[in-house]
Amino acid sequence: MEKTTASPVRLPLPAAEASLQHRTLWQDAIRRFFKNRLAIVGLAIVSFFLFLALFADLLAPYPYDYANFTKVLLFPFIDPAHPLGTDDVGRDYLSRLIYGARTSMTVGISVQLIALLIGIPLGGLAGYLGGKTDFAISRVIDIMTAFPGLLFAIFLITIWGGGLWKVILVLGVTSWIGITRLVRGQILSLREKEYIEAARCIGSSRWRIISRHLIPNTLTPLLVAISFGIPAAIFGEAGLSFLGIGINDPLPSWGKMVGISNAYVRVQWHLALFPTILIALAMLGFSFLGDGLRDALDPKLVE
Amino acid sequence: MTRYIFSRLLSLLFVLWVVSMITFSLMHSVPGGPFDETNQRLPPAAKANILEKYGLDQPVWKQYLNYMWNALHFDFGIPFQQPTTTVARLIAESWLVTVQVGVMTITLAFGLGFLVGIIAAYNQNSWIDSAVTFMAMLGITVPNFVVALWLILFFSVQLDILPSGGWSEPRNWLIEGVFSKDWILPVLAYALAPFSVVARYTRASVVDAINADYVRTARAKGLREHAVISRHVLKNALIPIVTVLGPEIPNLLTGSIFIEAIFRIPGLGKYFVTSTFNRDYPMIMALVLLIAILWGITYLITDILYTRLDPRVRLGGGGV
Repeated sequence: MEKTTASPVRLPLPAAEASLQHRTLWQDAIRRFFKNRLAIVGLAIVSFFLFLALFADLLAPYPYDYANFTKVLLFPFIDPAHPLGTDDVGRDYLSRLIYGARTSMTVGISVQLIALLIGIPLGGLAGYLGGKTDFAISRVIDIMTAFPGLLFAIFLITIWGGGLWKVILVLGVTSWIGITRLVRGQILSLREKEYIEAARCIGSSRWRIISRHLIPNTLTPLLVAISFGIPAAIFGEAGLSFLGIGINDPLPSWGKMVGISNAYVRVQWHLALFPTILIALAMLGFSFLGDGLRDALDPKLVE
Repeated sequence: MTRYIFSRLLSLLFVLWVVSMITFSLMHSVPGGPFDETNQRLPPAAKANILEKYGLDQPVWKQYLNYMWNALHFDFGIPFQQPTTTVARLIAESWLVTVQVGVMTITLAFGLGFLVGIIAAYNQNSWIDSAVTFMAMLGITVPNFVVALWLILFFSVQLDILPSGGWSEPRNWLIEGVFSKDWILPVLAYALAPFSVVARYTRASVVDAINADYVRTARAKGLREHAVISRHVLKNALIPIVTVLGPEIPNLLTGSIFIEAIFRIPGLGKYFVTSTFNRDYPMIMALVLLIAILWGITYLITDILYTRLDPRVRLGGGGV
């Protein structure tokens, strides 16, 4: 239904008009995005978690590592000083949940940054140069795909040890493959497009083709890939921490809280319930946002 | 076709070889070893003896060659964490449990998912359709350990009708396992994600097939509805499903570390973690190679099935 608005964007145009068209692509996208109710819900959830992460110091009633040994395993809604109860060493659960958002967001965003830093140059090189470079990079991707991802992550954790930055590094090292493959494929298909050929024919410089055509056209699928990559990284961190080999104490992590709660699940139900709800909400929020972005940025997909 | 399969198998062997080399060198690049004296002190002579017994005193490249030579003769060594058994036997025992859970999960997820997907497609844009779509989205996005804990909180804590974990006895056959309550929650938690994927893809491809011209033709020439569904709609709807779902199978057959940890299932999962932490070199190698083989073979079968179901693929035509 949106087909008609999409076509002018793909035409080669003189410089001034091209930038004008480029802006309307984004305006179109924003308009489409805000027409999508689920996308707005996703944006709201993600913003909420980002807000928690940024202002955790102000929002949390206690520091995340403050333990009150006289109030261990307190149930929620009983003690007004600890509205969501306390954990197995008497730390305020609400505060730890809020700081957990900071851990999750830090991991999600940093891992994607690493993946982009590795993936864009590698994928770009493979796609643009082709030949031997492409062959070598593609074989590396093949082999990395054959490796069981989680096992590889556990492996690296045993080598490098746990902790926030090590977890980010480990997940970053295992998550660049998707980005590399995406950028490579995108550049490969763009290289053969008529408008690139046309640009070459009218004598555009190589740099101009890269900056005007290749980068903007790779940007939109990348943005979508990032919005799906962040929850994947959050899930990875939660999983490693759940197994007890991710984030180290006293730093809170939702996954670790779930892992510990498993031992208390028969009585202290709140220990398991609250962090699992937050993990599920975060995953849902990001996937709504990602779906919304994809539909908004790539009108060809909506048919 | 034979030539194609042969070349694919060759490239699988190549990947396995590289994977084995990387794993081996990564394993040995970790400082420390399986017989470090963290717990009890060993007399130097005893330690030298142990290292010699497992060939750990030799240079790494020689250890690698030894390992590969033995592996090619189907001797995968002795697990350091349980020296009284062999790696092959330990993996066979625990994998049996994992495969039981995996097979039940595949049956439930694929069977039910397919059915629900078809129902949703035939009731397009009704409340059934929205309910299925919403549930599928939940199942795809929410991690399985989160679902597992919700199921435990509801069915074994709140209602107290199902066990929250455990695997009462080592069962030798699938049928015996079905009569126990132990598997219900793990399989439900594990099946939700693949179920959602199956339901979503089935719905999408059935909707496509229903609106296709050949189905209209079939109706127009007066075929009965169930013949239209089984001969035309389902057959064509199967094609995209096969390619999407092939990759789910090795995942389900190697089990989920999380599900096995939460429900205390004595499957393959726990060895992923314990083996890397105990520097159990033979176990790590065997596990990595097992998974790499499963993946490679599943991809190959998926591709072959794809050309079987859709002859256009072989001709190099546009595909679906």
